[in-house]
Amino acid sequence: MDFVILSLVMLGIGIYGLLTNRQLLKVFISVELIATAATLNFVMLTSSMGQGLGQAFLILAFSTDTAVSAVILALLVIVSKKYGTSNLSEIIKMQEKSESEAEA
Amino acid sequence: MILEIVSIGLIISACLALFLDEMVYSVAALSGTFIFTAILYILNGSVFAAIFQFVVGIGTLAILFLSGEMLGDKPTKKASPKKTLALIGIGIVLSLPAIFLSFSGSSGTTTDASFGDALWNLRGMDVVLQALVVLTVAMGIAIVLYEKRKGGQ
Repeated sequence: MDFVILSLVMLGIGIYGLLTNRQLLKVFISVELIATAATLNFVMLTSSMGQGLGQAFLILAFSTDTAVSAVILALLVIVSKKYGTSNLSEIIKMQEKSESEAEA
Repeated sequence: MILEIVSIGLIISACLALFLDEMVYSVAALSGTFIFTAILYILNGSVFAAIFQFVVGIGTLAILFLSGEMLGDKPTKKASPKKTLALIGIGIVLSLPAIFLSFSGSSGTTTDASFGDALWNLRGMDVVLQALVVLTVAMGIAIVLYEKRKGGQ
């Protein structure tokens, strides 16, 4: 059982989801998965060394993760309110449309 | 054996969280991911980390359930059990390398190594990969800023 490969697989799934999903909430879930993969790797490193200090530093990783989640969620709410949808393709289309209207 | 089962569950729930159409089911699968991660931490003796994972996970899930209901678009077609089964199968296949392969050389009981030694000898590959990711992101940001400046002129 190799936890490096496990966390790499998790990271791969997260990055694939980030690149392929068009729903903003799914993008948020992908970011959560990437953060979980990084944290998993860090915890397994410290537990393999038998040191508790790494777990204490883990609080920093979790708080950073929570802050990132809060910012992403705030952006998501703003974008959804502004454009009325949470689909990235539709948002990009609307943005391009409004830009071309502003130019004309 | 328990570790392997939990790892398979972790990967399956991650796949389901990303690729299920209904938002509520995705969030439920994400809760499974958090729970399996916490169980992995407990099995490796990191109880403190597991408790934090639970606490942070519960907060994230509560917010995601609410925002998923409020902001998520309703799927036009019903989720098919075939797709769910296919996702579970993909999850099992993806978790096999973690169970059978190993490139760190040990499943990790090096209690006498210093932090620097352990970081480079056991996790050298991760460090290099993370450096590559950071480099790629930095180059991407630089390219986007350059294109923006070019477009502005």
